[in-house]
Amino acid sequence: MTHSKFKIILLGVTTSVVLFYACSKNFLEKNPLGSLDQNTLANKAGVEGVLIGAYSLLDGYGGAGGGWQSAGSNWVYGGVASDDAYKGSDPGDQADIVPIETYSPTATNGFFNQKWRAVYDGVQRCNDVLRLMAVATDISAADKKIIEAQARYLRAHYHMEAKKMWNNIPYVDETITYAAGNFNVPNTTDAWPKINADLDFAIANLPATQTAVGRVNSWAAKSLKAKALMFQKNFSGALPILKDVIANGVTAGNKKYALAANFFDNFNAETKNSSEAVFSVQQSVNDNSNGSNGGWGDVLNFPYNGGPGGCCGFYQPSISLANSFQVDAVTGLPLLDTWNATDFKSDDGINSSAAFTPDVTTPVDPRLDFTLGRRGIPYLDWGNHPGSDWVRDQNNGGPYAPKKAVYFKRQTGALTDKSFWTSGVTANNYTLIRFADVLLWAAECEVEVGSLSNAVDLVNQVRSRVKNNPSTWVKDAGGANAANYQVGLYTAFADQATGRKAVRFERKLELAMEGHRFFDLVRYGIADVELNAHIAKEKAKRTFFTSASFTKGKNEYFPIPQSQIDLSKGALKQNSGF
Amino acid sequence: MPTKINLLVRSYLLALFLVFFSFNVLAQNVITGKVTNKANGQPIVGATIQVKGTTTVSLTNNEGVFSINAGLKAVLTVSVVGFEAVEQAVAGKSEFIFALTETTSQLNEILVTGYSSQRKKDITGSVSVVNVKDLKAVPAGSPAQMLQGRASGLNVVTSGQPGSGSNIRIRGITSFGNVDPLVIVDGVQGSLTNLNVSDIESIQVLKDAGAASIYGVRGSNGVIVVTTKKGKSGRASVTYDAYIGTQRPASGNPFNLLGTQGMADLTWLAFKNSGQTLTHPQYGSGASPVIPDYILNGPNSGVSGAISAADLAKYNVTDFSKSIYQITAANKTGTDWFHQIFQPAAIQSHTITASGGNDKNTYLFSMNYFNQQGTLMGTYLKRYSARINTTFNIKNNIRVGENLYIYNRTNPQIGNQSEGNAISMTYREQPIIPVFDINGGFAGTAAKGLGNAQNPVANQMRTFENKGNSWNIEGNIFAEVDFLKHFTARTAFGGTMGNFYNYNFGFRTYENAENNGSNSFNENAGYDRQWTWTNTVKYSNVFAGKHAVTALAGVEALEAYGRGVGGSTLGYFTDNPNFRTLSTGSSGFTNYSYAYQNSLYSLFGKVDYAFNDKYLFSATVRRDGSSRFGADKRYGIFPSFAAGWRISRENFMKDVKWIDDLKLRGSWGKLGNQTNVDPSNAFSQFGGSPGTSFYDINGTSTSSVQGFRATRIGNPKTGWEEDILTNFGIDAQLFNNKIDLSVEYYQKKINGLLFPDQAPATVGGAALPNVNIGDIQNKGVDASVTYHGAPTKDLKYDVGVIFTTYKSNITNIPGDYFDAGGSRIGTFVRNQVGHPIGSFFGYEVVGLFQDAADVSKSPVQDGAKPGRFKYKDGNGDGKISSADRGYFGNPNPKYTLGLNLDISYKNFDFSTFLYGSIGNDVINYVRYWTDFYPSFQGVKSLDALNKSWLPTRTNTTVPIAENNASFSTNQVPNSYYKENGSYLRMKSLIVGYTMPANQLKRWGIEKLRVYVQAANLFTITKYTGLDPELSGSNAAFGIDYGNYPNNQKNFNVGVNVTF
Repeated sequence: MTHSKFKIILLGVTTSVVLFYACSKNFLEKNPLGSLDQNTLANKAGVEGVLIGAYSLLDGYGGAGGGWQSAGSNWVYGGVASDDAYKGSDPGDQADIVPIETYSPTATNGFFNQKWRAVYDGVQRCNDVLRLMAVATDISAADKKIIEAQARYLRAHYHMEAKKMWNNIPYVDETITYAAGNFNVPNTTDAWPKINADLDFAIANLPATQTAVGRVNSWAAKSLKAKALMFQKNFSGALPILKDVIANGVTAGNKKYALAANFFDNFNAETKNSSEAVFSVQQSVNDNSNGSNGGWGDVLNFPYNGGPGGCCGFYQPSISLANSFQVDAVTGLPLLDTWNATDFKSDDGINSSAAFTPDVTTPVDPRLDFTLGRRGIPYLDWGNHPGSDWVRDQNNGGPYAPKKAVYFKRQTGALTDKSFWTSGVTANNYTLIRFADVLLWAAECEVEVGSLSNAVDLVNQVRSRVKNNPSTWVKDAGGANAANYQVGLYTAFADQATGRKAVRFERKLELAMEGHRFFDLVRYGIADVELNAHIAKEKAKRTFFTSASFTKGKNEYFPIPQSQIDLSKGALKQNSGF
Repeated sequence: MPTKINLLVRSYLLALFLVFFSFNVLAQNVITGKVTNKANGQPIVGATIQVKGTTTVSLTNNEGVFSINAGLKAVLTVSVVGFEAVEQAVAGKSEFIFALTETTSQLNEILVTGYSSQRKKDITGSVSVVNVKDLKAVPAGSPAQMLQGRASGLNVVTSGQPGSGSNIRIRGITSFGNVDPLVIVDGVQGSLTNLNVSDIESIQVLKDAGAASIYGVRGSNGVIVVTTKKGKSGRASVTYDAYIGTQRPASGNPFNLLGTQGMADLTWLAFKNSGQTLTHPQYGSGASPVIPDYILNGPNSGVSGAISAADLAKYNVTDFSKSIYQITAANKTGTDWFHQIFQPAAIQSHTITASGGNDKNTYLFSMNYFNQQGTLMGTYLKRYSARINTTFNIKNNIRVGENLYIYNRTNPQIGNQSEGNAISMTYREQPIIPVFDINGGFAGTAAKGLGNAQNPVANQMRTFENKGNSWNIEGNIFAEVDFLKHFTARTAFGGTMGNFYNYNFGFRTYENAENNGSNSFNENAGYDRQWTWTNTVKYSNVFAGKHAVTALAGVEALEAYGRGVGGSTLGYFTDNPNFRTLSTGSSGFTNYSYAYQNSLYSLFGKVDYAFNDKYLFSATVRRDGSSRFGADKRYGIFPSFAAGWRISRENFMKDVKWIDDLKLRGSWGKLGNQTNVDPSNAFSQFGGSPGTSFYDINGTSTSSVQGFRATRIGNPKTGWEEDILTNFGIDAQLFNNKIDLSVEYYQKKINGLLFPDQAPATVGGAALPNVNIGDIQNKGVDASVTYHGAPTKDLKYDVGVIFTTYKSNITNIPGDYFDAGGSRIGTFVRNQVGHPIGSFFGYEVVGLFQDAADVSKSPVQDGAKPGRFKYKDGNGDGKISSADRGYFGNPNPKYTLGLNLDISYKNFDFSTFLYGSIGNDVINYVRYWTDFYPSFQGVKSLDALNKSWLPTRTNTTVPIAENNASFSTNQVPNSYYKENGSYLRMKSLIVGYTMPANQLKRWGIEKLRVYVQAANLFTITKYTGLDPELSGSNAAFGIDYGNYPNNQKNFNVGVNVTF
């Protein structure tokens, strides 16, 4: 070994190491596979795609949040929390709903966090549209306005969902980002002014009709604005908007707003997006989403054990809801004061193997059998409801089954998703605002700040649809009415208080099991009275109500999720009483 | 791509260059000799003869004979495991006989550590050496599982499911993400799970920075270094190792469940206690429940009397185009669901190894067949594997070789630890349900009023035709060249390639309350590959006979890439297995694919210096660059320093005769972790899928329009996690090498723990990036002590104890806490600053309310009622709210220990191994299902009926049986579910007999040993569930959701033959 050989080796080693090192820089550049960056989407097609993504959370499923916990239909918070329905099913299944149903929810209940996360995911998807659009260069000013208006409508919608639930909520606009570090938004400022502003922008910039029926148009924006004003108790502000909507409104598909002749068309996937659908969550099945785009949040709410859907026996209408449909034999009008005095006959506590004859003589509103399934009455085209065989635990959930979100047997596999283990994922839209809703808001405003006779007219419009279409009523196998259906019209409201009671009762009947009832009761300011009366009546049969009570000033709103409070580093304040 | 090719080419040139410029050293002469055992004069096979200060090495052959080239003035060292090494100067002689003394001292044992090897006595870092012979005492498919209790500082938890992975944790848990140690097999990043244990030569566990920091960013979870066997020069030998045995599931009533009559009685008790109507679809209406003759007859449930011929004719469970009509008799005594699916099962393993070689080349070839049937029907692990390891000495100073391992694995599993698996169904399916209906169809909860569980036999039998297997190749090729007297250059290129293929069929079901509406089929396949190229140069020299210096420098590149595809289809015309392809379904055609890639590039160096074998110093530095981090934070530097002092070499210790060797050592250093960063962490990304962002904006009902959503928020500022480790240890050999002792204390702190950032939901739904916030600190003591006894010539024994403790404390995480360990009723675990990782959190049960007076004088509690839980008012405000929840349990054991006893007497050998985990709590979540009537209508426990609270039975802990869910019973996580999870298990008991060698010779057999074995003979525990050894995630563990027990008794017979 000579000295020079050594030098050569040293030189070789050194050079190689240096070369090796020089190459390493690119060697370590590994881009992520299978995803898009912001630049790819900062253009018209990309922004439109992100807008679709913002629409896609209207059902509350497919982003942050859960399934039934964050369902767009609000069956838990608007339905089970009210006198419409019980949680149903087995007492231990989805046990987190029990404290919601019995007005003892805690801030740590996972349901609230799931709902919260879902609505703010929706909000930020809208904000992504606005942020991406700001850097896109190929979108015309006119198109930008329409895109922004849709995004801001949806943003208002998601915020309103939160507002109804929690009242004290953070308002999150497009300036709130992770990178900016400003995401600990407090909930101490009232969100209504900003929700109103979003809706005003939407009203001003949306077209009356759209190329796609699922898009929001200016009339839907006006309707939501009116709803927002109703929640703000601004009846005089809401009334002119509602009058305009009723007189001139059209759907995004350019159908003049009108009630569908068949009440149940609103709950049938074959007849969705009718003239009555002001704004809906569009549900689709067999679209390669494995059921995620089809009413996934309501998948539990079907009869049990062999009935349609096959699972899971939740959201069972209450005894008192059935009682509400009893009518005066002479006038065909609801029993505004005595509706809950006698229980409408049911098979509560009777096995399917024991004999039972349904009540077909007591006069009832035809909407009873559109709203709930009961033993001995046809359950859509599934044959007669067999009673306890389709109920998971009658002791817990009572005798009734939900009906409005259920599919027809003939639709199985075509309008229900085949990839899911139950058929309970359907293409039934959930109608966020339907025209009957608009008419009854208008009636409410007329009672509060307008004319009682106008209110009578509006309520009667809603009642007439059912009254005038007896052929659509539920029929037995022989083609006769399945029960003694009676529906009459109001001639007048004696005074404002009666009118108020009648309009509210009409909303209860018309919109039962549609996820509005609890929020309506809170809006009316009578949730404590109504719900405590409900508990007092029901607890004899539904023993889970034994020690329940609604506390005024507390239970009107749900607790802000504890984990969100903890994560916000003190920015979020808990609602009073929790 | 050009870059990568350049890199490859240049590295290759470097390697060639090193080989090419190598050369021969000085004048040589051939020295021959023989190595024997001093005690009996028998030749020693495989002893290493090395020319001191060089890498010239030779091995003795079957007759103990060697030959080696050495200079006239060279010094030869002779070493072999189990004997004292000797050194002798050549001094012109050409023939030697070395008679070696057997030793129990392991000081001269050569340990393979990071990129090099060292004598055990020179090691300053913390290295646990696993006794590979003992390891084999546990019959299992994976060496990972066998490691339990075999190395101090190591905790291993495995389920009993054949082929299941193990939770291996070195010195506690220091992250909520991946804490699996880095496994290096023959220098290549690999996995323990599928190695054939018979192929393993040695396993070392590197625990501290001093030992592991040479692995830099991959080392923070510790490193397990595995070396596989090489052939030895000498006559070819063939060995056959095999065992065969049976595994026995738990007997009796392991979940303590009610029978048919008991369930009926409990139902009535619960209804009565709740003031509800005494009506049930099966038990009728009346004062007492009546067990029906048939639980199902078509649409009717709870039928008594005979079934009419007309009804029998309607029976149909196969034609789904018509109504299903099922007739199922009641099992009036009750079905033992557990033993319907858990049955004795066979296990067998066969390995044939051929090895041999000469002083130039060696080879080893092995083949293994392993087949462990699970005691749970439909689960098993079947693996075929082969290994080929060869080395070639091309010249005296050039060696090349390869290690290659290839295996095929079939391993159907159940989803362990979930409420939907077959195990959970055994404590959820009612006993009145038989396995089959009257015509051999599956029976189930289609019969009304029996809950929503599924028939576990049906579920498992339906998986029998599912297929899945994987092929994997692992290994490397290497070349080594000695040059310039003190240098060795080595290049090694290796990696793993894996392919998997699975398909399975989902049947339409008819027997359940909640049935599968459609049959379905899915099929998926993919591959993963990873290569590592390592180039090192090593220098070693001794100056002035006292200053020993070893230095190592290296570069390493690693790249991983993988892709996979899959699809599923629904609505098959027939269940016929021959019809099952992705294209023969009728709807729901879906497909997917995925891909990933990442790379690592590193430079490293290490210097060891020893003065007079007395003072030892070591310094290591590694610089890693990782593609997982943004350009600004791409590189990290990980240094470590270690020092050792062999006090026993000091003059003042010379007179202390009972100390043979005593070493103090300490180390400090940094390690990193990159496994808990998604390769996309630095990038903000959009994406979306039909389910997450598509929408039917056109109102079609059956299609949706593509949409996008933000999927990930990137953080280019995220950088390296630094794990700072401090370690102190004492190693000693005492009383004439009879006692080996090693005790260590360590501390591990984390600087910039990689943790998913936490932010309120107002930030949106995209995944938040991992950020460098957080610190989990672990402290602990590891110890091992072995006593070697040889009271008579024929009797020898070794007693060893391995002792491990760790104490974890969360020092800092974003958001102060996060919850984990989810269940039907919420989370059982809160990981919060100031508490041990995985702590159980919830309401603490202080007792049961005894009467109305008790309720009224206690703090206000929702759902308070006599017979229900009374919770602790943690904050003393007079009411029970979520603020009263507290920490009521700790799943981390106070210590774990392994006790090993080996005895040999003449030709008999006996060994036993016990493992214990002491002081850990577990959550028996099974009780949610079985102790509370309203927790779904499944089967309940004997306790729910016989020990539940009644006004007349108040001295109990089991709450009142009722049919309402309540905050005060089964709705929230509370301490009722906590149990003591400590256990001591006899893992293995072996008695073996080795045939006398002289009798075997005539059959050409060199060695024959037969043995019988019992594994898991007993477990001592207070835990009432199946098995307190519970796997889990790092954020939540020790929760029993229906775990595949790992305590099944196993009886084997085995044989080891060498030809």
